[in-house]
Amino acid sequence: MFNRSATAALCVAATCVSGAANAQEETSASTLYGDLQSVTQNMLSRAAGDGNNFLHTNGNYEQTRYYPASQINTGNVKNLRPAWIFQTEIVDTMETSPIVVNGIMYVTTAFNHVYALDARTGKQIWHHKHAMGPVTTYCCGPNNRGVAVSGDKVFMGTLDAKLVALDAKTGKQLWETQIAEAELGYSETMAPSVVENMVLIGTNGGEYGIRGFVKAFDTETGEEIWTFHTIPEDSVGVWATHDATGRDMLRDIEAEKAALAEMGDPYETLGGGVWQNPAVDLDTRRIYFVVGNPSPDLDGSLRPGDNLYTDSLVAVDLDTGEYVCHFQYIAHDVWDLDAVSPPIITTVADAGGNDVKGVLHAGKTGHVYVHNAEDCSMIRFSEAMVPQENMWVLPTAEGARMLPGANGGVEWSPMAIDPNHRLSYAINLHQPMTYTVKSTPYPEGKLWLGGSFDVIPEEEQWGNVTAVDYDTGDIAWQVRTAEPMIGGILATAGGLVFTGEGNGLFKAFDSSNGAELWRFQAGAGVNAPPSSYTVEGQQYVVVAAGGNAQLNFKRGNNIIAFTLAD
Amino acid sequence: MRLPFVTLAWTLAALAPTLSATPSIAKDDFVLEDEVALCMSCHGEDGIPIEPEYPVIWGQEYFYIYTQLRDYGAGRRENDTMSAIAAEYDRDQAKLLAEHFAALPWPELPVVYQEGDQQLAEKGITRGQCSACHGKWQGDSRIPRIAGQQPHYLSQTMHDFKNDVRMNAPDLNSTMKQLDDETIAALSRYFTTINVQ
Ligand code: HEC
Ligand code: HEC
Repeated sequence: MFNRSATAALCVAATCVSGAANAQEETSASTLYGDLQSVTQNMLSRAAGDGNNFLHTNGNYEQTRYYPASQINTGNVKNLRPAWIFQTEIVDTMETSPIVVNGIMYVTTAFNHVYALDARTGKQIWHHKHAMGPVTTYCCGPNNRGVAVSGDKVFMGTLDAKLVALDAKTGKQLWETQIAEAELGYSETMAPSVVENMVLIGTNGGEYGIRGFVKAFDTETGEEIWTFHTIPEDSVGVWATHDATGRDMLRDIEAEKAALAEMGDPYETLGGGVWQNPAVDLDTRRIYFVVGNPSPDLDGSLRPGDNLYTDSLVAVDLDTGEYVCHFQYIAHDVWDLDAVSPPIITTVADAGGNDVKGVLHAGKTGHVYVHNAEDCSMIRFSEAMVPQENMWVLPTAEGARMLPGANGGVEWSPMAIDPNHRLSYAINLHQPMTYTVKSTPYPEGKLWLGGSFDVIPEEEQWGNVTAVDYDTGDIAWQVRTAEPMIGGILATAGGLVFTGEGNGLFKAFDSSNGAELWRFQAGAGVNAPPSSYTVEGQQYVVVAAGGNAQLNFKRGNNIIAFTLAD
Repeated sequence: MRLPFVTLAWTLAALAPTLSATPSIAKDDFVLEDEVALCMSCHGEDGIPIEPEYPVIWGQEYFYIYTQLRDYGAGRRENDTMSAIAAEYDRDQAKLLAEHFAALPWPELPVVYQEGDQQLAEKGITRGQCSACHGKWQGDSRIPRIAGQQPHYLSQTMHDFKNDVRMNAPDLNSTMKQLDDETIAALSRYFTTINVQ
């Protein structure tokens, strides 16, 4: 089965060796499958080297989505077959990252159902359905991106803007906390993160006049520990005229200054949602996350200034939530080309070629941005991964065409990296759109886009998988896909990346060169990030196939786990 | 199952200084049954509206019905018939009405369909990214159910958005301007063919 020579020939020696070594390191023979053992902080902290479990939404605190096991690899991936399929009760958009703890898998569906499954057989252990309140206010589908685990609890954010803690053994609810008011446009679709006694979570709502935040709650009681407002009371900034890549954003600064004098700082309804998990640096006790678009999305006339910290990478203190540093990609964004894909902490080359601790983020603009973790400053940005045209034409009443369309580039989809190849892997959309502006005051807790983004149906849409060398910003390889890509990607020590498409295809590529090595037709859109895990010495790759509301990909209700055929 | 909705802290008005004061005068002698009888005289005794231009409200989303009544009452959505009716209710009364109709079953209406509707409708849905908000058209909370709605009503309200007559969801004014009349007609028929869950 395991073709050693083929593997060795296909990958850089260092990759295979270190990958395999990592995988062995924490593979404990005494791990009983299905013992519902509680999750310790040590396990969470060392997840990057854990070849058995998948404990974080993005694999580990650094969010590399690099899984250290190599049993499934470039040599044998052609023998990957479904081990089991689990069908949930909800046939609707799925964005869940399966979490696996000692042979137990936790997945979520649209409308906040949670399932615990036997990760080896797919058998259901329990099913929890959130008692949804009558008022939900969300954008872009009734999504949920998964749970966080810690101790003997499972945590989930809900569409009605609650944080719930469930008993990992039974699925019974232990406590719930109202994070913010659903009537005002707050909702939760992101998976929380847990560090020590804190559950960290942001908020959706940039399509309503909210004031975004990241909050920390006590794991035992659900009580709030700290709040960081993503929109400071002084949101004006430095009147930046150019974006992070040096392009003129055509701002009318004089008009904005006049508006500011008249209406004051717009911080209370300025949006700034946080859609995805923070990367956690336990050494410096900082977290890094990205902040989404200002509200209203397309109408800048009602929100003069740079609209800090929208469209930014932000670092705050893990223990207090106090501001550390930020970097804004697009000041005063009127295209919703914001920052949503979760950041990754890894070693990168600085401008002088020296290794420093860096932070990567893939933007809806189609660039991978590389930062110095020390002060959030940008070291470089990558070549554009998708066509860019007419940037930055301002939205008009009739609709102005610009590329990328408002979904990106890279949407909320997490990237993965392979720290051995020093490559980042991103999935992209190419969706030509027009940007239309129509100014209206905030319509009382209702959607507030300030216009509309409209796809140009006559133009072709497609996607790609792109590997970027983050030390240089060059594209290392790129594979075109038939559909715009949304969901996520996983890299493994087996020299592979796994990602799915809206047409139901789930594929494995050689992570060094993008060669397609395996594919499977799932029958519904594969628009969720894959995970991997090992039970009783057998490695699995698992992904949800439930389609996607935002891009209207065929809905389904499947969780599919793959393993090597005997 | 949706939970019955009893109390909500309404802080919206305070947060939105641009809104004019919303009426909060209660209708005197409010008896739910009497009011419901009034509604049914147009929206139907059995949930099937008496005129093709009248929308189905049986089984519509609770929060959507409530916000529409508030919007009519406050002049954010204008209609000769509904504005006067809704202006009489205070919040609690509007909630009781919304609760009542949301709990009733959605009626079955005849499917109307013309050759080519689906292609045209799907193109419109792609252009407007409708499914990002409407999903499978079954409605949820703020988002109205559209599957199985009266086609005449849908066509009319989409034109009202397009022509800046219906102003209580301003983003939809931009969205509908992107759709030509043929597409709007095809969409409103196409929605009758979608199964109501
Ligand atoms: C005289 C006929 C009439 C009566 C009586 C009436 N309605 Fe209506 N209703 C209409 C019409 C016509 C519309 C469509 C108006 C428009 O296009 O804005 C409407 C629209 C609505 C809507 C908006 C539906 C949607 O899908 O947006 C709601 C909710 C509603 N009515 C509730 C009620 C309630 C509750 C009552 C009783 C208190 C009531 N109506 C009484 C004729 C009536
Ligand atoms: C950004 C989210 C969003 C998008 C995109 C969107 N809608 Fe809506 N739509 C809504 C919301 C929210 C409402 C309810 C508005 C209100 O509160 O009055 C609505 C209302 C409607 C109504 C009125 C229903 C009734 O009962 O009166 C129709 C019809 C409709 N949408 C059709 C469409 C179509 C067709 C598209 C795509 C071409 C579309 N919408 C795109 C959010 C959206």
